[in-house]
Amino acid sequence: MTERLKILLLLAPALLVIGGLFGGGLLLGLIESFGYMPLLGQTELNLEAYRAIFASQSFWSGLGLSLYISTVSTVIAGGLAIAAALVLRRAFKGRGIIRFLFQINLTVPHLVGAAGILYLFSQSGLFARLAHALGLIGGPSDFPALVFDPLAIGIILQYVWKEVPFIALILLANMQAIGRDYESVARCLGAGPVQVFRHVLLPLILPALFAGSMIIFAFTFGAYEIPALLGETYPAPLPVLAYRAFTDVDLARRPEALAMAMIIAGLATLILAGYAKLFYQRGGING
Amino acid sequence: MTARLPIPLRLFLALLICWLMAPLIPLAVWSGSRSWYFPDILPSAYSGRAWSYVFSSVSGVPEGLWQSAFIALSATLLSLLIGLPAGRALGLYKFKGKALFELLILAPLIVPGIAAALGLHMVFLKLGLTGTMAGVVIVHLIPALPYMTLVMASVFAGYNPAAEQQARSLGAGSFQVFRYVTLPAILPGLLTGALFTFLVSWSQYILTLLIGGGRIVTLPLLLFNFASAGRNDITGAISMIYILPGAVLLLIAGRYLTGRNSAADSLRQI
Amino acid sequence: MKLMPVSLKAAQKGLFLILTLFILSLFIPRAFANGMTYKSWDEVVTAAKGGTVNWFMWGGADNINQYVSGWVGAELKNRYGITLKRIGINDTAEAVNIVLGEKKAGIDDAGSVDLIWINGGNFRTMKQAGLLYCGYLELLPNNRLVNWRDASIANDFGLPVEGCEVPWNRAQFAFAYDSARTPNPPRSIRELIDWVKAHPGEFTYPAASDFNGSVFIRHVFYYAAGGPEKLLGPFDQATYDAVAPKAWKILNDMKPYLWRKGQTYPNAIAALAQLFANKEVALYFDYDPAIFGVNVENGTFPATTRSYGLGDGTIGNTNYVAIPYNSPNKAAAMVTANFLMSFDAQYEKAKPKIWGTTPAIDVAKLTEAEQKSFHELPRNPAVVAPEVLAKHVLPELHPDWIRAIEKGWQENVAQ
Repeated sequence: MTERLKILLLLAPALLVIGGLFGGGLLLGLIESFGYMPLLGQTELNLEAYRAIFASQSFWSGLGLSLYISTVSTVIAGGLAIAAALVLRRAFKGRGIIRFLFQINLTVPHLVGAAGILYLFSQSGLFARLAHALGLIGGPSDFPALVFDPLAIGIILQYVWKEVPFIALILLANMQAIGRDYESVARCLGAGPVQVFRHVLLPLILPALFAGSMIIFAFTFGAYEIPALLGETYPAPLPVLAYRAFTDVDLARRPEALAMAMIIAGLATLILAGYAKLFYQRGGING
Repeated sequence: MTARLPIPLRLFLALLICWLMAPLIPLAVWSGSRSWYFPDILPSAYSGRAWSYVFSSVSGVPEGLWQSAFIALSATLLSLLIGLPAGRALGLYKFKGKALFELLILAPLIVPGIAAALGLHMVFLKLGLTGTMAGVVIVHLIPALPYMTLVMASVFAGYNPAAEQQARSLGAGSFQVFRYVTLPAILPGLLTGALFTFLVSWSQYILTLLIGGGRIVTLPLLLFNFASAGRNDITGAISMIYILPGAVLLLIAGRYLTGRNSAADSLRQI
Repeated sequence: MKLMPVSLKAAQKGLFLILTLFILSLFIPRAFANGMTYKSWDEVVTAAKGGTVNWFMWGGADNINQYVSGWVGAELKNRYGITLKRIGINDTAEAVNIVLGEKKAGIDDAGSVDLIWINGGNFRTMKQAGLLYCGYLELLPNNRLVNWRDASIANDFGLPVEGCEVPWNRAQFAFAYDSARTPNPPRSIRELIDWVKAHPGEFTYPAASDFNGSVFIRHVFYYAAGGPEKLLGPFDQATYDAVAPKAWKILNDMKPYLWRKGQTYPNAIAALAQLFANKEVALYFDYDPAIFGVNVENGTFPATTRSYGLGDGTIGNTNYVAIPYNSPNKAAAMVTANFLMSFDAQYEKAKPKIWGTTPAIDVAKLTEAEQKSFHELPRNPAVVAPEVLAKHVLPELHPDWIRAIEKGWQENVAQ
């Protein structure tokens, strides 16, 4: 057996699962989005579903909302994560506990966080009650609408809550691997702390930051349950629209659901392609 | 080396920690409350009602806990069996098309699982896999396997296979080589990967709902039911049960997570 | 090659075997549907023994869950050897969609749904798509307790039942208020319109996508039309075009005085319940008045909660259970449906501490002792008496009307 064959054997099961299950699922979805439903006697491919969603106002506002939520969540989470990682890489008392708390957060499921955010930020939630106790508001309606709101603040808060530790831990591991030598050199050459960060550390951690942010962006772009629980009924982000169309009692709307799923997948693939272009020129993930 | 942080940084950290813990507080309080109206900071009446409900068999929570655990453990085991060899190939060898394969493994992390699951639905239905544990476990492999494979790849990237060769030349059988040479070396990383994979499956909502068709009831499905129906007390109690296994597993695996092969270290490979 | 440990090769060889065995072991054995029809009730009961019923129903109320999984489940097990599996869903349409998908995939005898709590548009969808098992009602002994001469039972939102579903509950829309806070709530839609303007921020209703929000909007629609009479029967575009602008004007005029100035609406009735519980709004309403008592019992609503119907009437409906055409456990589902209509099951459900909902059977057809038990049931003071509500009951509309009104609200009021 050649080494090539051996490698292929080692990879085969994973290839089968990812190619078959994931790739196959996407392919079937693509076919169904073209209206291919042999059981209903529909075997001709058409673009009806795409035409229907492109003509609908709710699709465009859903797409816009999805992009908005993912962008804002990722930028805020990324920024806070850099700050947190910078603090946590210093040696100080209690660092172990704090890092442990960060890891605990990784284990808390998204839905639990969403329910917690709801009970904290709704107009009759804990923060509204505190504001009332402090005399800041007279009643629930004086408290700003932070969940089920048009700006999707509740959804963004939940994502930021969940993803700051995720990105921060990635960055922290990255910073430890890089070490402090480059920074020391820069400082010896007379650079101030801001300059050291801006010109030495940031470029070094940028790939990890990008990778982490990309995962977050894609995840939030495809997530269903958080906007379903914390969002307005209208407009709703793409995954919620896709699920609604898929479970509509009108089966003719299924191709529309699949078409929306394909658009989600297509945009995610673009992100993946961007990632590949950025990093594979440098010789692979482990390079 | 340990020093006190400057005040602003300590404040920042304190705020950050409060923020990370904050959502869990109302959930815990709600789980033991009977009536808690605006503008009361604390409930006006307490009760163990939500807890006795979630522990009763009629609530379906004990069954949901069991099913969630079974699905997550099965998905982890299968991911391990599939991801370990693939991780070994990616970590130890350089070969043509490796970059493409890495990208393929990475794809399900970026392309949302809901897209593939909607496409798979009809095939699963035809195969009788919808509404079964098997179907849900299989569809959970889509988000779970990449994590396991990437963590194992990073483990094997720092692994020296020469020791296996030595053991074999000393007459060790293949099982012995794996048991006494390979396994001890990769165990910490393997546990990290298993923990991640478990949590990925444990948190799944939409894939379980789509493929389980409501018949496979896991904790997140019950949680969503009650959260959207406004039953804050029961939502709180289910949340507390739901976060427990992850926290316990993290505590158990804790010593592996702080060492060289820490979880964060593996995340670096992503 | 030399680097490859044999153990891993073995592991891979074994992998597919393990995977296959594992998946096989996970399969829940599927019962095969029996295409036969039953000649007598005894045959049905015998065939039902040992069966499992997957009952899909809305799962957000712990008291209903408890009644179904606890009480009904235990009784079915003891009396008939049937295992009841309650499957909680967020929306009945999800179950309809599952059966539709199965039909599309050609799964005609091994479906996953055995029983659905259903009415209205979902019933229409299933009946018209041929998704229901029909024509077994004569076999059910307890069917004699149902007054099929009552048009509001024989027709589900205007569509004849025709033996395709079994009545389970009756419900009639009612308003609730906190008597300690709001001594004089509005008692008609006319009064409500003025009341809302006099009490800015204290009223709202869920969006039309919510079942209860939609029925509130219908009440306004009836008011705008001067009563439901013109709207009954199949959808009529001309009538709709004449009435709709008036209804939208009423609702749009209300908007600035609603909670959050009408910029957003609660997306579910549960959200309105929260607003009412936290005194953000002064009025609550629900299609099932039993919920007021349940919410007082569980501490969500204040003990001073009271409820009432409108002087110009409120809309009532009957809700049912139905068996999909591809249920593999039809006999067990039939026994379950029959048991749900029994005195025991209807009486247990009518207890205010259990659920407090109105029976779907005709109490007058019961034995005297049974009638007495029903009449002696305590009443939760928060729940308006069904007899009082029933004096002014309005019919439901054809689902096509409902769909048009919901869509119209979305386009003319929400945006």
